[in-house]
Amino acid sequence: MKIQVFAVLKEYFDKEFELGDDIQDIASLQGHLARLNTEAQGILQLCRFAVHDEFVEENYKITKNDTICIFPPSSGG
Amino acid sequence: MIRSAYSHQAAEVEIAAISAQPLDVVGLLAGAHHPRAGAVVLFSGEVRNHNDGMAVDYLEYEAHEAMAAKMIKTILEDANKKWPLNIAVAQHRTGKVAVGETAVVVITASAHRSEAYQANEYIIHRIKHEAPIWKCEYFSDGTKKWGGNCNC
Repeated sequence: MKIQVFAVLKEYFDKEFELGDDIQDIASLQGHLARLNTEAQGILQLCRFAVHDEFVEENYKITKNDTICIFPPSSGG
Repeated sequence: MIRSAYSHQAAEVEIAAISAQPLDVVGLLAGAHHPRAGAVVLFSGEVRNHNDGMAVDYLEYEAHEAMAAKMIKTILEDANKKWPLNIAVAQHRTGKVAVGETAVVVITASAHRSEAYQANEYIIHRIKHEAPIWKCEYFSDGTKKWGGNCNC
């Protein structure tokens, strides 16, 4: 699966990177990323996740071909 | 071009909801008149030279452009369901935006001013808090800070 991160998350992770296929759902991905970089744990708790340009919930089942976008809280305007 | 405006009756305005180029506020206003509208409200969100006691040099905006454009379209449609609008237009910048430049513009037009004001505030509030758009502040002391918990 491919991961894309935005805004402040780029200070903790590469903008795009690949992860193995053993992560089952969004909640597992969130936990996995928090373990990869413990400093990002707080901001990850606030993030929204999107697959195929649609927001998804924590229980969304990830497949190996998915691209998951991770969005910190919006700060437009 | 992405169709981001929503028309209550006949008028439609085509603008890109997300733009990497400077926003043409005057041009957008010129296109936002409608024969049934007695009120046009324009909000221009502009870059100020200070925030939290620090001098700001410029802002840089990042967006997930496809999702942000789609969400802005949905917000405009929702506003049009809540109020009888003749025009609802919104456009947001990406990239580097200098102090005094417009980062976001929202225009609403309706028969009377109350609906146009209320709808305009509703639209900008939702864009700020829901659209996948982020600002990074670049300060005069050389530091920078990503936004995330908007206090505006």
